[in-house]
This record gives sequence, structure tokens and C-alpha cells, in this order.
Amino acid sequence: MTADAREPEYREPRILLADADAFFVAVARLVDPEGAGKATLLIVGGRPGSRGVVCSASYEARAYGVRSGMGISQALRLCPGAMAVPVPRGACSQKSKEIRDVLARFAPVVVAASVDEFYLDMSGTEALYHHEPLSVTAQRMRAAVLADTGCRISIGGGTSTLVAKIAAGAAKPIPGSGASGVHIVLPGGEEAFMRTQPLSEIPGIGPKAQERLRSLGLVRVPDVLDADPAQIRRYLGEKLATWLTRKARGIGASALHGRDQQKAMSREDTFDHDVTDEAALETELQRLAVRVVADLRGDGLRARTITVKLRENDFTTRNASRTLDSAVSTERAVFGVARQLLHKLRATRRKPVRLLGVALSHLDDGEIIEQLSLIPDASAAPSETPRDRALAAAMDRVRARFGPGAVQPASLLADTAPTSVEDRSETDGPRAVGPRRR
Amino acid sequence: MRFTIAREKLQEGLAAVAASIPGKTTLPVLANILIETTERGIRFSGTDLDIHVSHEVQADVERPGGITIPAKKLQELARELPPNPVKIESAGEQKVSLECGRAKFKLNGLPKDDFPQFPAIRFGDGWRVKSADVRKLIKHTTYAVSTEESRPILNGVLWELKPDHMRMVATNGHRLAKMDIAVTGHGAQASDLIVMPKALDQVSKLFPDEEDLEVARGDNHLAFRSPFTTIFTRLIEGPYPNYEQVIPKDNDRFAIADKDALSSALRRMATVASDQTHRIKLSFNAGILRFQVNTPDLGDGQDEIPIRYEGDPMDIGFNGAYLLEILKNIPTPEVRLTFKAPERAATVEPEGWSDPATYLTILMPLRLSD
Repeated sequence: MTADAREPEYREPRILLADADAFFVAVARLVDPEGAGKATLLIVGGRPGSRGVVCSASYEARAYGVRSGMGISQALRLCPGAMAVPVPRGACSQKSKEIRDVLARFAPVVVAASVDEFYLDMSGTEALYHHEPLSVTAQRMRAAVLADTGCRISIGGGTSTLVAKIAAGAAKPIPGSGASGVHIVLPGGEEAFMRTQPLSEIPGIGPKAQERLRSLGLVRVPDVLDADPAQIRRYLGEKLATWLTRKARGIGASALHGRDQQKAMSREDTFDHDVTDEAALETELQRLAVRVVADLRGDGLRARTITVKLRENDFTTRNASRTLDSAVSTERAVFGVARQLLHKLRATRRKPVRLLGVALSHLDDGEIIEQLSLIPDASAAPSETPRDRALAAAMDRVRARFGPGAVQPASLLADTAPTSVEDRSETDGPRAVGPRRR
Repeated sequence: MRFTIAREKLQEGLAAVAASIPGKTTLPVLANILIETTERGIRFSGTDLDIHVSHEVQADVERPGGITIPAKKLQELARELPPNPVKIESAGEQKVSLECGRAKFKLNGLPKDDFPQFPAIRFGDGWRVKSADVRKLIKHTTYAVSTEESRPILNGVLWELKPDHMRMVATNGHRLAKMDIAVTGHGAQASDLIVMPKALDQVSKLFPDEEDLEVARGDNHLAFRSPFTTIFTRLIEGPYPNYEQVIPKDNDRFAIADKDALSSALRRMATVASDQTHRIKLSFNAGILRFQVNTPDLGDGQDEIPIRYEGDPMDIGFNGAYLLEILKNIPTPEVRLTFKAPERAATVEPEGWSDPATYLTILMPLRLSD
């Protein structure tokens, strides 16, 4: 690039967060224009009387107090006139991909933070867009996404993922907010923008942290920035104080790392009816293990830590996990450990089960390195042999050709397992912020 | 209870039992220290239910009795007291007053009867061993225990007391350390004990080399005693795996290396080794040992050191962290390694050790497949 008088000001990173507005609601309306499409008060997550939890709700329904994560029946008590529909799962992934494809026409780097959130790195694209303001480009992206996918998105922008994320919240055209769907925080304006925000908007400050900060008189960003730094350090400790002060100033990651490795993946199901039968639980566990292992191998990864999650009918959630000496990637190894963990959990408390999940972490894509054993462990979970891996690879090839259901463990063929109303897969890898559902 | 104690003696008693008091506990009395008067002075006791440590110090007892006091508070206080005698007096079952110079304190405690008792163990039936010998066994073996919950038996150290020798063995299933020391006339009959490493840590810390130790076994407990200090610990129930059968007998490749040169090369390699597998490849050749690390997404490294080696050239992979830990405990400047094949157990031993004790460590390699 030649020396340009305007160049210095364009050296700032330009990060956008494109966030689909009430994504699940929007998709539910697109797939059912006559039903859900006409309901102003719409709750997505499950049918009335089902055991699902609210995945998302229309802004109008939210005005009644409906929130993500509450049971469908509770949501309908709060908002009796609402229509409740299940999550249109296939359509959601399809729409998510379509939105991403449109955004990729505009931005050189697009990183999906969740099914409905995408970070875009627009740094260095100034000349490409003839030095038009970023907000103008962002408005064109919104129009293109709406035209091509039928979904509305809001876009926040700034010099870091943190500011972009919070600006996207400010951009949401919630009725009465007067927001336009795009909010760009210009370089140098981060602190002024952050000063308008409550601390609860900062990713990483959850309800518990908010409560603790509130008890110290820290509610809004200026409460932190205007306080005596020594006092904040005394309250929160050196590490947390530094973290909070940086976030409050709007300092965050200024580049996207699209290929960062995932840290964890999981699959979990909430059952239609509480499950008490141990054999049925085991079958369901195997089903989850098969699915999460398929995700794992699909990404060319192996996992060392296996976690089983159990939620009982009184909403007590318990986990058990084990870290193996060597990373594994086959159904046999993962299910073998998961089954032992399930037994361990059920041995301490045997309540009807509402939700079951399997998570894999300590992921690794390096060479398969096996620590040989001096004293074989008879009680240990069956570890993975080269034969298991060859078998898994063969099954992957069959599934790739004939579909995911082409090869299954025989125990899963008899349809005895409880059906599920919720199924989600999460990853905690590349995103600068956690997944968000609405 | 009323007594006067020198500040230093108070600090000594508290320091001895401090490590046995759990940092976090659901049973409030465990956060307390038990203080009792004895014929010789004052006995301090602490326990986390696995281990129970008592230590006696001199004091002038005016009125016998006992009470428990929050250990942390008493330690903080003892550290800050002026260098004067400390007068301690119980006021009822749950309060204690403390005076030192012109400073006066009252602390809330708990009745002494709330403090858990350990089963009585008869020392008369036990063994007499040299503290120096036990500490030497502990130092060279306990590092190898497993910290994983999946095999509780390997969380303990096997201590074999035989008529003519003592042995300690520890393993995590991948590496093993074993040491033997000849003894004469230690008393009681042979016994195999599986002891928690944290109890052995206390033994190492609290019994100086020159002391003679009495060791006695109860049903599920083990006790160590010197004139002023007693440690009780729960035993881990066996049987311990048959480790004898994994000791390689037919290793026919031998290497002798300078321990410090080998350790520094391994530490250099470790910087680019995977922090999960710590894999380092070693290539043994006549006269030279080559190291190679290749960690995807991180980088690679090579190094070499001169060694003496007999046998066919061989490549073998090890967890570098395990090997370094073994070398750290080898008592000689030179180390001897033996091998059979790249996927068979290797041994690492001191070379030219002029000590009556015998020491052997075993390390399983890493297999590289696919």
C-alpha cells in the first residue's frame, strides 16, 4: 500500500459480531408461515405439555417474563396466549449455514461462535470497501442476509471481540429501543461506550459474579473505572481485578483465530419422561456416546477426559469424569468409561433422571501415543486398541456413504430408548465468548 | 487446664501437627488442634481422619485438662507473640485464655471429647527401625505412587518388613520405584503394609535421622512413635499388585550415562514436548544417545549426549517427565539403563553405588502407532 494520509487511522482492528435476531423464533416462523409465522407470542423449545425448556421466545413473549432455559409449562403459565413449538433443528443448522455463507461474501474471516452468532474480522478491508464507514458495510450485510435467507441479523462492531459482542447487544432492534440493527464503536470510543453499559453485559460475568460485584457496589462499568484501583484489587484480588478493569475499558481479543482447537464437545438429551430404568439409561448413554464420538472423529480429534452429566427430577445436576492416560476416539472406549461413570453416579443417588449427557474434553489431534502399562489394570475401562480404531474408521466410511444410521451398535437398534426433546452439541473452543441462546 | 509454656515450645508443638490439619473440612473439630496436659508437659494433636499426629513438648502444668482450639488462629497468634512465657488456661469446656507479657486473648474452642480418637495400638508387639533407613526408603520411592482415583491401591506405598530387610515399592502402573535396605533384629514378624504417601511425608518430616522408631500395626492402622512424637495412619487395604513379575529379568541392552547430562538434555527436550504426553524419542547407539521431539503445532528439537551403550541400536519413546523424575532420585552421578525392546519395560538404576541399599526403578515406554 502506498503512503496514504488516511492510513494510520485504518490500522485499527475492525471486528464485527453478526447476531441473528431471535434466531430460533425466526426459523420456526420461516418453516411454518401459517402457524408459528402468524403467532406474535411464540415460544420455541417444545410443544405444550412437553418436557422441553425454552430455547428462544419472541420479543413479545419475553415481555411476559419468558426466558431461555425455563420449562415450557412454566413459560406458558407466564404467557398463556403463546404458541409453543419444538425447535426446528434441521432448519436451524441449514439457516445458520446460509447466514454464514452470505457473511463470508463480505468478510475474509468468519468464525461461528454459536449457531446464531458469527465473528467477522474486517481488518485491512478498508480499501476493498472504498473507505466507506464500517456501519455502512454492516447495513449492506444485514440487507443481504435478509434478502438471501429471510433472517434478520444485528451487527456490533469495534476494535475487539468484546466490544463487538456488547455493541451487538446495543444494536438489537428491540421494540422501543430505537436501535437500528447496527452499532459500531469507533476506535478510541471504546471506553466511552463501555461506560454506558452494566457490568452484566461483559461476557464472563454471570449471575453469581454480578451478585458479588453488586454487594461491593459495582453494578455499571463506570463503578469499576472510577473506583480506586487499589480498592478494586483489595476486593477482588490482583488477577480478577486486572481482568475486570481490562474488560471494563473494552480491551479484548483484536484478531480472530478461526482454526483454534476446540476444548470440549458434548451431547445431551432431556427425556420426555423421567427415566428410572437402569438399562434404558445405559442404552441412552450409548446413543449419546455414539453421537459425540462421531462429532469427535468428524473433527479428527481424540479425547482424554470423559464426563457424564446427570440431571435428576428434582433438578439436581451431577457430573462424574475420568481422565485417561491416552486419548481415545472410539465408541467402545468412550462408552466403556461413560458406563462406569454412570454406575458411579447412580450408586450414590438413584432418583428418576431427567437429562443425561456425555462430554469429551482434553481434546488432541496429534499422533496417537500410548503409554504402555507395567501393571495392567483389570478394573480399568477397556482401552482402545488399533483394531478398535480401524473398526471405527471403517464405520465412518460406511456412514459417510450411506448415512449416519447405516451402522449402529445392535443394542441401539431395538427402539427402547426414551425419545428426547432436546439435543444439543456445544463446543467451547474458538469463540471469545460463550454460546448464547435465545 | 492451666499451664505455662515457652513461646518457642508452643511454636514447635504447633508446627509439628500443622500439616495433619486439613485445609477444608466438613467436620469443624478437625480444623482444631487438641491440647492436653501430660506427665511431661503438653501434647498437641491434629488429624484429618487419615492421619493423626501428636507431639509432646515441655511445659509447667498447674492443672491438668484438655481442649481443642482453632489451629490456624492459634498458629497466627503464636507467630506474633512477644518472646515471653505463654500462660494458657481453659475457661470451661469451650473457651481458652492466653496471656503473654501484657497481651491477653480469649479463643473459642470445642470440647476435647469432640476430637476423634484413633484406635489404641500396642507398641510392644511392633518393630524397631532406624528413622534414617525409613526416611531413605520414603525419599526414593514415594514419588512414583499414582495420584489417580481409579486404582486406590496404587495410591499407597507398599512397605514390606521382613526379618532381614525392609523394602518399599511404589508405582502408578507406568513407572515403579523399589528400594531394599538390610536390617537386623527389628523385632516383630514379617508384614506387608500399604501406606498413604502423605503419612510417609509426615514420618520423613517429623522423625530426624538419628532417632530410633517404634512401628506397630493395629487392625487397619499403623503407628510410628519416637520419644516425643506419634503418627497414626489408616492403612490402605490390599492386596498390592504382584510387582515382582513385571521386573524385567532378560534385558540385554545396557547404557551408562552421566545423570546430569541426561537430565539437562531431557529438560531441554521437554520444552518442546507435548504437555500431555511428554513424549521424547531416544535413539541409543554405540557411544551416543540422540534425543528427538516432534510435537505438532508446537515445534521440534534434537540433541545428543555421549554415553556408553552395548547392544543393537534402538529407538524408544518415553514420557520425559517420568524419566526426569526418576533421574532426580538416582543417588549416583552415573545412571545405568537396561532395555529389551522398544515396547518392553526399561530399568534405570544407580551406577557404582557403594551403599548397602539396593535401588531399582522401572519405566514403561510410550508406543507410537498409526
